[in-house]
Amino acid sequence: MTIWLTVASALLSLIIGVVVGVMRISPVPILQSIAASYTEFFRNIPLLVVLFFVYFGLPNTGLRLDATWSAIWGLALYTAAYVAEVIRAGLGTVSKGNVEAARSLGLSFMQTMRYVQLPQAMRAAIPPLGTLLIALLKNTSLASTITVGDLLFQSDFVGNRTFDPNILLIAGAIYIALTLPLGGLVNVAERRWAIKR
Amino acid sequence: MATVAAPSRPVSERRTGMVNFGIQLLVGLALLVLFPIAFGMRWANFLPLLKPDALRFLSIGMFATIIVSLVAIVVSLPVATGLALGRLAPQPWVRWPCIAFIEVVRSLPLLLLIFYINLRFPGLGVFESAVNGEGYVNLVVGQALSRAGLAVMIALTLYTAAVNAELLRSGILSLDRGQTEAARSLGMTYWQTMRLVILPQAFRRILAPLIAQFTILLKDSSLGAIIGFIELLRRAQILFQQSFNPMEALYVVALIYFVLNYVLGLSSRVVERRRPSVHVPLSEV
Repeated sequence: MTIWLTVASALLSLIIGVVVGVMRISPVPILQSIAASYTEFFRNIPLLVVLFFVYFGLPNTGLRLDATWSAIWGLALYTAAYVAEVIRAGLGTVSKGNVEAARSLGLSFMQTMRYVQLPQAMRAAIPPLGTLLIALLKNTSLASTITVGDLLFQSDFVGNRTFDPNILLIAGAIYIALTLPLGGLVNVAERRWAIKR
Repeated sequence: MATVAAPSRPVSERRTGMVNFGIQLLVGLALLVLFPIAFGMRWANFLPLLKPDALRFLSIGMFATIIVSLVAIVVSLPVATGLALGRLAPQPWVRWPCIAFIEVVRSLPLLLLIFYINLRFPGLGVFESAVNGEGYVNLVVGQALSRAGLAVMIALTLYTAAVNAELLRSGILSLDRGQTEAARSLGMTYWQTMRLVILPQAFRRILAPLIAQFTILLKDSSLGAIIGFIELLRRAQILFQQSFNPMEALYVVALIYFVLNYVLGLSSRVVERRRPSVHVPLSEV
């Protein structure tokens, strides 16, 4: 369950994050401001508030998600703000000459973004995205608070049955066993897709 | 926050900058109002939160959150420094425990750490009977020193210390080796070198990510809500379970957290202005 939560919300947050990140450097001031507000807002409020909002709040609007999907959306919305910042930083590393060359060839903003800027930015963004992925994996433990049966929820359940807090140590070992290879994987990806300059 | 204004920035450019800032502010405020409307929040549902009782109830939680976060921030700094220096120490029996502690704590979810400390050490409840009174201050301090409050405080301290130790280590390593060598050849001891030469520079370099980590700490203090630390978020939850206005209550709490973090962010600017970092060219490490 922990892995499913991580994968699903990572993909969603990547999509939202890229959109917001691109909006942030778009030539339209309104879009820029909306993107900036989004990142600032979500980076400054606790994830738990976001999760509660999606799980307890949204049903009032008639939008009823089950616990798992609430968790996935909450995690995705929250993480997307960080992804957007990383993407923006990545876009910053693309040299100006590249963009200018693309624009003078007659490519539109979106075309420049798609064919020139984003491919380069994504590569530059791999290491920080990896850090975010690990943080996301750890953050999925918060889903246990809205009754999603993830790793922490299950171990807490067992712990409450047996009155043995040491079950949490085992859960901790599993988390470490999940995060360490993930870190290694990110390093491999980083080396594999490094930009050759 | 530049202390010296850029000398030759054209007026037109400065004006665009101001206009952009204005647009940003306007859009931000507009979203602040549009967001509740888009989600169909009702003004009537905000009213129960504005009653004096509710405000008092919430503010007690807010101050408990602030106290726990501040204590964790202050205590985590020396611990982080010790861990970072320990990890850089040449003696293996100092280095390895530090590495193990940092890596393990960093890769655990904070919530798990909080659960574990809360369950494993029931003795943390010692202060619970010490502070009891109906006064406002008593309620705030009593909440912060409750068993759950202390568990959160300790977990946050350990976690932040582990993360910041790595940050500080990278800050120390980014300094020119010549700094240490010069200080040592001037006859300074190891501790003098660290205290007077290395650490001040390292801290200045990592100031921005350090404050960002403290922002995360403040946000993560909300995890206490799960183990019965009745802080800001938990109090909002109690309120919305009474008056059935979860969206409105959580929105208000989100804004409070936002403001708290904004103030925390401002503090980094104040530090930066008082002690501007000296811009020595970074040596290639």
